[in-house]
Amino acid sequence: MDKDELLGSHREELRRGTVVLACLLALREPGYGYGLLKTLDAAGIPVDGNTVYPLLRRLEERGLLQSEWNTDESRPRKFYRTTPAGQELAAQLLAVVEDLTRSLQTLDGGIR
Amino acid sequence: MTDTTWTERYLAAVLRSIPESRRGDVERELRSSIEDGIEERVANGEDRVAAERAVLEGLGDPGRLAAAYTGRPNYLIGPALFPVYSHIIPRLIAISAPIVLIAVSALKIIAGTEYLGALAAGTSATIGVVIQLAFWGTLFFVFLERADAARETREQIASAVGTWTVDRLPEPSNKRVSVSETVGEVLTVLITAGGLLFVRSLEVNTPTGRIPLLDPSLLDVFVPYLAGVLVVLGAVHLLVYVVGHWTYPLATVHGILAIAWGAPIAYVALQGQLVNPAFASAIGWPGLAAGDQPAMLAIAVGVTLVTAWEVFDAFRRARGASLAGFASAILSRGA
Repeated sequence: MDKDELLGSHREELRRGTVVLACLLALREPGYGYGLLKTLDAAGIPVDGNTVYPLLRRLEERGLLQSEWNTDESRPRKFYRTTPAGQELAAQLLAVVEDLTRSLQTLDGGIR
Repeated sequence: MTDTTWTERYLAAVLRSIPESRRGDVERELRSSIEDGIEERVANGEDRVAAERAVLEGLGDPGRLAAAYTGRPNYLIGPALFPVYSHIIPRLIAISAPIVLIAVSALKIIAGTEYLGALAAGTSATIGVVIQLAFWGTLFFVFLERADAARETREQIASAVGTWTVDRLPEPSNKRVSVSETVGEVLTVLITAGGLLFVRSLEVNTPTGRIPLLDPSLLDVFVPYLAGVLVVLGAVHLLVYVVGHWTYPLATVHGILAIAWGAPIAYVALQGQLVNPAFASAIGWPGLAAGDQPAMLAIAVGVTLVTAWEVFDAFRRARGASLAGFASAILSRGA
């Protein structure tokens, strides 16, 4: 395994844990599967469709997202929106990430 | 044509393992997501066929996507090895089971056990071997998946299997059953029925009168029963044609009928109740009416094999050609 691959696989692992949070935050504005991929990508969080599409359904089943079919346009699309429960969870997760970042920075400073 | 069939085949491959109740919604959403992806690539100047290929391959193995949708973890054996595992173990079992069945039964017969007992011993040995193979085979793959020592092997297997490409999509399953297939099946049933009537009519002329080949006790109930099962079997084949393809319920009914036809014949043959004792002595082969005859064992084994194949074949068709597609993909990569 060369250096790039090593970085790649660990970066993936770190990001995987934040995809849920990213989706919940992004979908405070209603969005559909492919559009969400683009939004996340533009925000610097590239995620694969095969991760996001099933994830949206699972989050909906847990009541963190709600969905609605939009059939006004030529292609019917399923729009998701973060529920109040989802927003609450997102706020908590965001706090966890910020704590983590601070802790890691402390660790980093302590070693240097 | 290819531009539509890839997506259709991909959707079919994903939806196959998603519960019926959620299929419609998942299909609609996934289809629109795939089309969104293709559209954007085409808008960026990509060729439509290449765009479709890239989008589907970006989504990856449909089986894994379906597992993500259903939240079903396939992680006792991880994603890199699972395709290999699910490919090898069933084949290993399919190859060894008949060998064990035949070998153990044959050894028992040589050792002097009567045929029915030998067949029972063979069957129980086969069940044991299947369980052992499934267990140790699975354990081996779990080890390969987890053990640090096996990392190199794991990576070799993963790279040999390679990343998923659309070429591995199974052929469209549930292909419409053709007229010629149905005619062939119904003809087979008719020929079998004809054979049954022919065997029933076989007799030998002796000074004391005509003696039928089949044991007289079979003529009133057994033979009409077999004929009745055949009629229903023929009807099932017609029903399959009307429905258009094999389904699991149809394959189940077909399997029950096949067993209802084959099992009694094998049983009666092994019990020595198939051939009329008077007929056997008239042709100077009195042993023929007994169950412990190679001829009777051959009939029982033959009927059992044909029945097993009939049951297997219908389920295989109901399931579609998914394994075949995967196998040919691996072979074509290896070549």
